[in-house]
Amino acid sequence: MATTESQLEEQQPSVGPGEDEADEEVETRVGWRYTLAKIKRDATARIGLYIVAVVLFIATFAAIDSNVARLTFGAVQDYPAARALPIFDHPTAIPPPGEANANAPPAFVDGGTLSHPLGTDPQGRDYFTRIVYGSQVSVSVGIVATAIGLIGGTIVGAISGYYGGKVDDVLMRLVETLYAIPPLVLIIVFIVFLSGGSPDIRYAIVGVGITFIPVFARIIRSRVLSVREMDYIEAARAAGVKDRNIIRRHVIPNSFSPVLVYATLQIGVTILTVAGLSFLGYGAQPPTPDWGEMLRIAHGRYMHSNIWLSIWPGLAILVTIMGFNLFGDGLQDALDPRIKN
Amino acid sequence: MGLLKYTIYRLLQAIPVLIGISIITFLLANLAPGDPVRLMLQGQQADEELVRTIEQRYGLDQPLHVRYWNYMTGLVQGDLGYSIHRDRPVSELMLERAGPTLLLVLSAYVFAIVTAIPLGIIAAKRRNEPTDHISRIVALIGVSTPSFWIGIMLIIIFAVQLGVLPSAGLVYPWQPPEAAGHDGYLEHWIESIRHLILPMIALGTLQMATLMRVERTQMIESLQEEYVKLARAYGVPERTILRKHAFRSAQLPIITIIGLNLSTALGGAVLIETVFAINGMGRLFIEAIQQLDYQLIMGVTMVLGAIFVIGVVITDISYAYIDPRVTYGERE
Amino acid sequence: MSEPLLRVENLKTQFFTESGTVRAVDGISFEVHEGEIVGLVGESGAGKSVASMSLMRLVEDPGEIVGGEITYRGETLFGLEEGPDGELRERDEMLSESEMRERIRGREIAVIFQDPMESLNPVFTVGGQLREFIELNRDLSSGEARDEAIRMLREVGIPDPAERYEEYPHQFSGGMRQRVLIAMALACEPSLIIADEPTTALDVTVEGQILDLVDDLQDRYDTSFVWVTHDMGVVAEICDRVNVMYLGEIVEQAPVDELFYDTNHPYTKALLDSMPRPDRTVDELDPIEGVMPEAIEPPSGCRFHPRCPDAREVCTRVHPETLEVDRADGYPHRTACVKHDVFDVDYDGSVPLEPGDEAETRVGGTGTEAGADSNSSSTGEEEPASPDGGDPQR
Repeated sequence: MATTESQLEEQQPSVGPGEDEADEEVETRVGWRYTLAKIKRDATARIGLYIVAVVLFIATFAAIDSNVARLTFGAVQDYPAARALPIFDHPTAIPPPGEANANAPPAFVDGGTLSHPLGTDPQGRDYFTRIVYGSQVSVSVGIVATAIGLIGGTIVGAISGYYGGKVDDVLMRLVETLYAIPPLVLIIVFIVFLSGGSPDIRYAIVGVGITFIPVFARIIRSRVLSVREMDYIEAARAAGVKDRNIIRRHVIPNSFSPVLVYATLQIGVTILTVAGLSFLGYGAQPPTPDWGEMLRIAHGRYMHSNIWLSIWPGLAILVTIMGFNLFGDGLQDALDPRIKN
Repeated sequence: MGLLKYTIYRLLQAIPVLIGISIITFLLANLAPGDPVRLMLQGQQADEELVRTIEQRYGLDQPLHVRYWNYMTGLVQGDLGYSIHRDRPVSELMLERAGPTLLLVLSAYVFAIVTAIPLGIIAAKRRNEPTDHISRIVALIGVSTPSFWIGIMLIIIFAVQLGVLPSAGLVYPWQPPEAAGHDGYLEHWIESIRHLILPMIALGTLQMATLMRVERTQMIESLQEEYVKLARAYGVPERTILRKHAFRSAQLPIITIIGLNLSTALGGAVLIETVFAINGMGRLFIEAIQQLDYQLIMGVTMVLGAIFVIGVVITDISYAYIDPRVTYGERE
Repeated sequence: MSEPLLRVENLKTQFFTESGTVRAVDGISFEVHEGEIVGLVGESGAGKSVASMSLMRLVEDPGEIVGGEITYRGETLFGLEEGPDGELRERDEMLSESEMRERIRGREIAVIFQDPMESLNPVFTVGGQLREFIELNRDLSSGEARDEAIRMLREVGIPDPAERYEEYPHQFSGGMRQRVLIAMALACEPSLIIADEPTTALDVTVEGQILDLVDDLQDRYDTSFVWVTHDMGVVAEICDRVNVMYLGEIVEQAPVDELFYDTNHPYTKALLDSMPRPDRTVDELDPIEGVMPEAIEPPSGCRFHPRCPDAREVCTRVHPETLEVDRADGYPHRTACVKHDVFDVDYDGSVPLEPGDEAETRVGGTGTEAGADSNSSSTGEEEPASPDGGDPQR
């Protein structure tokens, strides 16, 4: 039996998303390096890759020098405040209020100073630092929530697609139903009922993740449906390999790459959704520096008096999501040569 | 006749989904950790007597399946429950608030469609030329920008800085002019449009960008079809090819996407109504959430889900109308 | 002989791709006379379809007709001349794009495509599509065009044409759709129909019916055809004269009987030998060795030499023009193979190629120099094969 399985493993083609056999062959032979090379050749995908890289770098290494109440970059251990991502514990203030005036304009406007390049918020905190810190919340929430959706969707979609029949019917009806409720509404209901009325970014992550399960489940399922019919699956089944092992070893790996592309694009959607949640007050809670939350405060009281408060967080969201979208599009083009611009 | 049959078939098909939505909203509200009544009375001393009275009055002391049955029979009769906080039937509140939301969502769609389709076609026609690149950048920014931020920016520019458009509320064209303090219908309708412009753009931008991308790829694909080549070989002018031969089949996916995106648009309406202080269902939902008015939350969720389902049925029917290959009941 | 309906001279169509210039059609010449069916035969990738689309100037990006002349009834469909500054430019008498569209496409030259499933627009009725093209190309009113469309549907053997007129393509079988496309082509009353592998996508019985139909209709309407195919069987059944294409070039050109009974080019012979025939068993079939190289870097010398059983050393060097080696029925029999005496390059004295030699000689220098020189026989090692160096076909 062991030999049979390993033989099957060898025979099993690594299926790229391209239906074309020649493409699959290239894909198998050079894999990710080939994909990366292709992305590097495409100018827009390259820009996306750079933006994502920069945002990830900032989110990982941004740290606060509590002495000067301003942002610096450096080794994490120098700055205790940055040791843990400040998403789950709400530090009292990031950054601590400086001695600057509240609502100071950005440096390039009359009255602004270089020490606060983007100005300060109503509590006199450096806005640049808060924007940079916001990347931590957005990026980590975006990735974690997408991962929940991806894992959940993979399990549901693989089971549904592989078994078919009644299991498939029930799961797909459920997926269809969850689809019908506007995601934002469903997420807020989740958050409120799960948290018993005291929303928190943790519930937001779980809520967003669960809500995106159907999206991934659908893609995985359709992929599995075609993989299921492949000869090597038939062969494995004929050889008596257990269903669970077939799903784990053959079905999922061979269905995964279009989903991975989709996940990259979905990170953008997730960040957008979480920003919306925070804007409504159901995501990150103050004083956590979160772009959506910052926009909530700006919209509530400062649209007339300090327009900069509204401008910077939005731009930050825009650039970050654009990075993920460009990168995802590039990935899609590289992995699937049929869809060309 | 086929189309009528198909319509009925699709409507019947929508019923299980509607039941599914009712189950999900019901379970979410009833199985959530924490007692709904105590949640409702949050902040007040939980007087056991009071809790029991409320439970009895709303049938909360009965087993889950009985409660669901009661809820369902109510739903079928158009009874969406009773909002304790507002002391009004939920369905009445829905009727009041659905208008502004539908007005907002529909106008956003109109805005998205009339901009996205011509732009997508031009981009496809002038593929890889500057026009195409510009429209693709616009589409990219459109899908990457939070709608509520677009709303805030529009308010800052057009209401705060320029002072040319109102920043809050809607004027409902179906109301009599006097109710809004306007002298005549002309002024009334102009005001409705003025109030609608900014929220419409804010909500419609994402839809526009999505549709534009799809329109472009669809038209590019369609222009490479054999039947387009054939039309060219028979001397059909390029303009006719673009407007007729390539156009029609390229619109099929667009129709599907319009339907499916309705759910994003309705979710976006929650944000946009908050930004522009519009008293629609989205804002009602947020208020219900804040007050933990769970009958109302269930009601709004149910109605939003139903709007989506009906929207998808409508788009499916128009799809069937355009695509002769769809035979009633056999479509994937 | 009368002036031909269509004359193609030294036509060159190239595709400018990222990986280099593809010479899809590389200097082909042929003629089509009134009432003739002229075959364009070869393996896929030989450039047949590109050649046929070039006739209507419908080559798509990144392809472009870069040279040669196409004359239809005395009108220049394509033609270049050297401008005062030495640049090639379009000749004044060459039809403009709108003239092509309004006067030639559909009206004078119509097409039938390979895939009847893809050639009809799924969202319009079959009749509507027919009517539109008839209206456009015959200046009929909508009602007249409708009657004409129904008449043509009946003519091509579609039962209940008036009812089927209102139906959509998906309600027709493949064979029926191909009949519709034939009706479409004939209904516009063109003088020439380009049929691009019109029976390839159909199964054999339907193919037979369609061929009979075309034969019959061609007799009655006296339309000329350019029939693109890879199937020698179809050629034998339907064509009057044949052009055999290999890698963008015409390697043999002859009336159909002459081609079959006095085959001159080893490639044609190979094509005929690979064709299943009732008098031979499968074991006797003789498939052509190897695959056709890419037109992006064709082999040096004769392009067929790497796969040619008769190849000799000289074939790796000399690129043969297509020369007249014989005449039959008043038409020339042309061949591009140095075996023949017209090519005075000492074939008999050359060393036969061993199979092992092929690897080195297969890819010539042409590929790397493709961009540097637009002349088709561009490698330094090649010698012009025609005795006087001029165009031997005139």
